[in-house]
Amino acid sequence: MLKFLAGSVAALAILAGGAVANAQTLKMWGPEQIAEPLVAELWNGIKADFEKANPGVTVEFMPPTGTISNGAVQAAIQSDAGPDVILTNSGIGRITIVRNAKQVMPLTEQYEKRGWKDQIYPWLYTELKGQFGGEIYEVPDGLDALGIWYHKDVFAAAGWEVPDTWKGFETLLAAIEAKGLQPIAIGPRTTGSAGHLFGNLLQSASGKETIGQALRKEIAWDDPKVATGAVRLQKLIEAGFIKKEMAGLDLDGASRLWFNKRAAMFVAGPWFTANARKAGYDLANAGYAPMPSDLPGEAIPTGGVGWSWLVPVNSKQPDLAMKWIDFMLSDAVMKKRAQAPASTMIYPRELKGIEPSTPVLREIFAAAAGGVGYNPSVYLPATVLDTYFQMIQGLISGQVTGAAGMQQMQAKMAEAK
Amino acid sequence: MTPALVLYAIFSLLPIAATFWLSFNSSAGFNTASAFVGLHNYQATAADPIVWQSLWHTFLWLIYHVVLAGGLGLALALAISRLKVTQVFFRTAFFLPHLVSLAVVGVIWANIYDPFYGLLNTGLTELGLGAFTQGWLSDPALVLFSVNVASSWQGFGLYMLLFIAGLQSIDRALYDAAEVDGASSWQKLVHVTLPGLREVTTFVVSLAMINGLKGFATVFVMTNGGPFYQSELITTYIYRLAFQSQDHGRAAVLCILLSLLAIAVTIAFNRWRTRLSR
Repeated sequence: MLKFLAGSVAALAILAGGAVANAQTLKMWGPEQIAEPLVAELWNGIKADFEKANPGVTVEFMPPTGTISNGAVQAAIQSDAGPDVILTNSGIGRITIVRNAKQVMPLTEQYEKRGWKDQIYPWLYTELKGQFGGEIYEVPDGLDALGIWYHKDVFAAAGWEVPDTWKGFETLLAAIEAKGLQPIAIGPRTTGSAGHLFGNLLQSASGKETIGQALRKEIAWDDPKVATGAVRLQKLIEAGFIKKEMAGLDLDGASRLWFNKRAAMFVAGPWFTANARKAGYDLANAGYAPMPSDLPGEAIPTGGVGWSWLVPVNSKQPDLAMKWIDFMLSDAVMKKRAQAPASTMIYPRELKGIEPSTPVLREIFAAAAGGVGYNPSVYLPATVLDTYFQMIQGLISGQVTGAAGMQQMQAKMAEAK
Repeated sequence: MTPALVLYAIFSLLPIAATFWLSFNSSAGFNTASAFVGLHNYQATAADPIVWQSLWHTFLWLIYHVVLAGGLGLALALAISRLKVTQVFFRTAFFLPHLVSLAVVGVIWANIYDPFYGLLNTGLTELGLGAFTQGWLSDPALVLFSVNVASSWQGFGLYMLLFIAGLQSIDRALYDAAEVDGASSWQKLVHVTLPGLREVTTFVVSLAMINGLKGFATVFVMTNGGPFYQSELITTYIYRLAFQSQDHGRAAVLCILLSLLAIAVTIAFNRWRTRLSR
C-alpha cells in the first residue's frame, strides 16, 4: 500500500513537473484601451481562444504606457523584463528607431515560412519589402485612414456639408466660426494628433505623388509645391479658424471639444470610434469625409500602416510570439475582430463579406477604398519626426510661418540618412 | 567598508564611467555596436541650438522654482508659525501636494490650464475677467512659467516645513528684546526672523536649486517640451535624445553637462554661504 502511495505521489509529481515545464507565459504589449469594456471583451476572447489552442500557455497583456514616439516601447524593451510580442503604432519612421537600435527582430524569413506575405495586401507587402533593403521588421495589424469627422446633426441643422474645394472649405470654416463653434479641434501636444491634421492639409494642397516625392527626398520640403499645406495651416491659424490656444491641448483635450460639440470638425482615423465610445458619443451621429482638395482625385484620406506586431530581440518566447502573430493573422481572428463592435481599424487584407460594425467605419472604408495618401508621421525618418511635430506646434502657436517651418523640415531631411 | 565601496562602484562609479564612455561613442542603443567618434558628440551638441535653448530654459526653471516654491514655502511658514490651534491643520494641508507624484500633478494642472474647459480660464471668465484668460500651455512666453507653477505647487510644502522648523529654533528672547526696543513687525521680520533663518534658507535654496535642475516629470507630462521646444529643459532633451531618437552619445554629453552644472551651482552656492556666515 505504501509502495502504491509513494508511486502515485511520484507520478503526480512528475505530471505536475511536466505541466510546470510546459507552462509558458506570453507577455503581449497591448492592446490599447483594454480598460474599455468592449475592447476588453474582444481581446479576452482572443486570449482565451489562443490559450485553448495552445495548452499550458498563458497570455498576459501589458497595458501600453506609450508608443515608440515617446520612447515607451524602447524603454520597455531595454528593461529586459518587457514584452515578448508588441502591438504598437508603427510606420517606417517609428520602426526605423527600434530597428536601428537593434531592439526588434527581422521577420522577413517568417513572411515566407509562415505565409504571412499572402495574408496582407500585396501592395502592403511590396511597400514593407522596399523599406529596409528587403528586410521586414513588422507585421501590419491595422491601417489608418485619416479624414474629417463631423457631427451629422450639427451640420444638418445648419445646412452645412463638407465641400469639394478648398475655397468651399474656407467658407465652411468661416460659417462655423460665425456660429460660435470652434471650426476644427486639434491636440498637437499628442504628437500623432498634430500630424493627423497637418498630413491631411499637405495631401489636400499637394497631392499624394508630391508628398511621396518629398518623403523620398526627391523634392524639397520648402518647395512651394510641398509647403502650400503648411502655409494653409498658418492662414487657418491667422484667420482664427484654429485657435492658437489649441497648441496646449493634447488628443484628449481636443477630442473633448469635439465630443461636446464645441468643435465642429476633428481629423482622425477609424480608431477614433473607440475614443468616441469611451466618451459616450453617439457614433451614429458621426460623419466622415476626406479633406477637400482642388486637385482632381486627391480628396482622399491619409494613412499608412497604423499598428504593427513587433518581436523584441530579447523576447523570452520568440516561437510563441510567432505563433501568436500566426493566430492574429488567421481568418477566424481577423473576421472576429472586424465584426466586433470594438473594431477600430482597416485590416491589412481584404475581408470579403465583412461589414464594419458602425456606420462611420463604413464611410471611412468607402473613402479609403481607392487608396490613401501619406501620413508623414508614419513615413518620415526617425530623426526628422521630432522636428516635424515641433514645427506643427510652432505653426499652431504662431511661432513660425509655414514657409520657415518647412525650411526647418528640409534642413532636417537633408541631414537624415 | 568593502561592501559599501562595491555598492558605490556598481551604482555610482560604473554608470558615471559608462556615461563618459558613451559620450565618445556613436550608439543607437545598448544592442548596437558602438564606434568611437572622438569629440563628435560634443561638437554636435555644441552646434545644436535646442541645447542652448534648453540650457536657458533650465536656468529660468531653476530661478522660478527657487522663487515660487521657496518663496511660497517661506511666506506660508511665516503666516502659520504663530498659529496655535490651527497650525497643525494648515501645516498638513499645505504639505499634502508634496505627497502627490509629479506625474499626477502634471495631469491635474494640465486640466486646470485647459484653455477651453480648465478651471483657470473658466474661473476667470466667470469672474468677469475673461480678458485675462490665456493659452497657459500654448503661449511661448508663458508655458515654462505655467508648468513651473505646477511643479512648485508640489514642492513648496517641504520647504515650508523646513522654514517652520527654522522659525521654531529662533530664540523668543530676541523678539521680546526687539519689542522692548519698539521694533515694528516689519523690523522684527527683517532684523530678527530672516537673519535667524539664514542657515535654513541656505539649505532650502540649495535643495530647491537641485530640485530645479532635476525638473522633468511635469514638463514631460504637461508639454513634452513644446510648443516648439519652448519648455524644453536639459533633462527632457536628454530623454528625447536617449529614448526617442536612441542617440545615446549626445544624451550622454548632456548628462555630463547637467552634472557639471549641478557641481558648478553647488560650488558657487557654498562659496556664497561661506561668505555670508563670515
